[in-house]
Amino acid sequence: MKKPLGRRSLLRTLSGALAGALTLSVSRKAKAALQKILVASHTPKGYDPTKHKWLMAIDVGRCIGCGLCVEACKTENAVPIGPSYFRTWIERYIITRPEAGSGEMRGETIVDSPNGGMQGFPAGLVPKEQILKSFYVPKLCNLCEHSPCAQVCPVGATFDTPDGAVLVDPKYCIGCGFCIQACPYGCRFMNPLTKTAEKCSLCYHRITRGLKPACVEVCPTEARVFGDLKNPVPNDPIHRFIEKNKAAQSLKPHLGTAPRVLYAELDKEVR
Amino acid sequence: MNNSFTNNIVEILPRVEGFAYPNEATVHPLWSVLIVVYPYVTGLVAGAFIMASLVRVFNVRALEPVYRLSLLTSLAFLLCAPMPLLLHLGHPERCFEIMMTPHLSSPMAMFGFVYAWYLLAVLLLELWFDYRADFVEWSQSQTGLRGVIYRAFTLGVHDVSEPVLRLDARMGRIISIVGIPSAFLLHGYVGFIFGSIKANPWWGNVLMPIIFIFSAIVSGMALCVFVYMFLSWARRAPASIDCLDTMGKFLFFALVIDAAIESLDWIHRLYSADESIHILKSLAAGRLFYTLLVGQAFFGTLVPLLLLGAVQLFRTRITVSARHWIYFVGSVLILAGVLSMRWNVVIGGQLFSKSLRGFMDYKLEFAGHEGWLLSVALLGLPFVILGVFIKLFLPATRSHSNEPATPIRPATGASAV
Amino acid sequence: MVIVTLYLTARYFLTPQSFGLYGWYRAVALDEIAARPTTYAGQKACDECHSEVVQRLAKYEHKTVSCESCHGTGQAHADNPDAPVTKLTYSHCVRCHEADPARPTWLKQVKSKEHYTGQRCTECHIPHQPNEVP
Repeated sequence: MKKPLGRRSLLRTLSGALAGALTLSVSRKAKAALQKILVASHTPKGYDPTKHKWLMAIDVGRCIGCGLCVEACKTENAVPIGPSYFRTWIERYIITRPEAGSGEMRGETIVDSPNGGMQGFPAGLVPKEQILKSFYVPKLCNLCEHSPCAQVCPVGATFDTPDGAVLVDPKYCIGCGFCIQACPYGCRFMNPLTKTAEKCSLCYHRITRGLKPACVEVCPTEARVFGDLKNPVPNDPIHRFIEKNKAAQSLKPHLGTAPRVLYAELDKEVR
Repeated sequence: MNNSFTNNIVEILPRVEGFAYPNEATVHPLWSVLIVVYPYVTGLVAGAFIMASLVRVFNVRALEPVYRLSLLTSLAFLLCAPMPLLLHLGHPERCFEIMMTPHLSSPMAMFGFVYAWYLLAVLLLELWFDYRADFVEWSQSQTGLRGVIYRAFTLGVHDVSEPVLRLDARMGRIISIVGIPSAFLLHGYVGFIFGSIKANPWWGNVLMPIIFIFSAIVSGMALCVFVYMFLSWARRAPASIDCLDTMGKFLFFALVIDAAIESLDWIHRLYSADESIHILKSLAAGRLFYTLLVGQAFFGTLVPLLLLGAVQLFRTRITVSARHWIYFVGSVLILAGVLSMRWNVVIGGQLFSKSLRGFMDYKLEFAGHEGWLLSVALLGLPFVILGVFIKLFLPATRSHSNEPATPIRPATGASAV
Repeated sequence: MVIVTLYLTARYFLTPQSFGLYGWYRAVALDEIAARPTTYAGQKACDECHSEVVQRLAKYEHKTVSCESCHGTGQAHADNPDAPVTKLTYSHCVRCHEADPARPTWLKQVKSKEHYTGQRCTECHIPHQPNEVP
């Protein structure tokens, strides 16, 4: 081992003194910093994230696949135009009739989402007579209670907020893509311009100002319902939805992510 | 950022067969060939270290000639391990955050600490204790730049008396013992990064860390065989057939375990047949046919198993030069097989949609950030570093005499503990 | 020990302020994300000036449709009334009302190729009072 013991003990004393000096100033500065935050960190107009719990619910039976929500989301959040960058999108499911005498309940399930459904869907993919059932499903961040994306972020750049949104901090994200791999719902993408992960923020800049998220605002049929579970207002749409759709489901429940986005009238083929 | 700017991105429509979530249908998979290289390189680090610790911890004397070589190989590859990761990050300049605010629930946050531990507390320390006496000797005998380098590496400790040397040997052994679990940790955690992703049925699997560890051991040993044979050839010195036979034996056993665990993985998947099995079967038979069934299973596992197994059974009947060839071909096949295994895991997991309804295409580019040129360069770099290490720290006269590599350490060191 | 001290020192200087106030993230990120400007103004903003239109709309079938569903982003117009809103075209109607087997049956749908071709929708229908005309 290192022989000169005198040198080592000197080193130890020195580093001990250094550490002592540092911890003193650290604690002092940390305290000051904390105080500064407590005073300064309040979101616009006194919004307190701990006093809200937002929820999104989807009524599949009311979605008409117009694509206004996808377009509004891209505009509102400056999501890159392109076929693989979506914070929300619409999927079309077409379940065909089984062949006569096949003994099956249903035929094939065909799913498509051309450009996220932003410009609508091409007609005539399957002739009308062959369709057993067809419907649109809007998709967005599932606001998981146990979000796998926030769990795997190595630096804490994506997180569950106290008010129920799952956000990405674009100034802190290192762009490793782990969260995108961990999301079972394909709700995240790598923004090609900022090189950071991006996802539905529940229009955090809107909901903190008392507005509805852009997709909910423009939805013409109220297929998307949005509300605050902690502050119910009279005739609150989210409470009406929960009351009316007691059997509302979530996507991929077997993964244990406990999504908070509810889907009413969901078909088993949707995943 | 405004929309007029974002409108300018030109997108090539990616090809999708069936349905994929729109965000998944990217032109390149998010984790591309750089992330294939990363677990391959760390696997080689861990495997080569296990090879070295066979000598130190388990006293396998026949492997003496490759002890230092495998440690240096391990170090050369470890120095290159973070590069593919850094190059792949969207914001490499923020990489320090992973050390400053490590999110403890993320397996990736471990990287900085595991890496620093392995580099500073295991490999460098073990090498230093092992080389210390030589550094002292060389710093006296060599002049010029080399002498300066050796003198710097002694870190000012010039004592080579008997008790101090014995202490060196004991420290080396302790570090080796600590190093084995560290090597398992280093690579097991890489496997865990994939194994912990429940969203992806191709990755999310408890066996994944174990598969990674054993394939790492196999690939690292194969690398040592390859480097040792190549070095002997380059120095026109005969490789010790004793050493090669022993390496072949360990390689064979490790390969048997590796193959058994990987088959167990497949048997379990096929038998339990959950909702993902249809897409995984068509993945294996379609897009991964050449790399998985032909590359990994047949040429990477079955052929080396037969070759090395034949040597185990009929060692006496196979001539020395034939055995040389078998070891060489076997190790090259294993190295290629493990590389294709990494490819199958990393790229394969991103070729099908998490909706389990379709496949994405992947075309490998030549140049550019995600091209294979960069990856080949990253795989070549450790060999260059290793070349420098060998030039500096493995003088030809010593490593190839049939007597133990260093006159001082092995006999006294190993028995003293 | 030196390494650990160095690490702690670096950590002290490189950890952003406000980290860990609510959880393992920069708490100020919430403010930063919330500070983004809006482009859709919301129904309330429309109601401030066009309340009679909003109230009339609420009596008819299109009551669930918000102003900005058809008229487009309104924040610019709300900030400066001189800024024009999007001009509407025929495609806005068929975007929702084109016949499509995937659309729910309660929605009124037409085949635009067979339904009074060559005429504009507004020649017969009033978008704000859709039930008025057949």
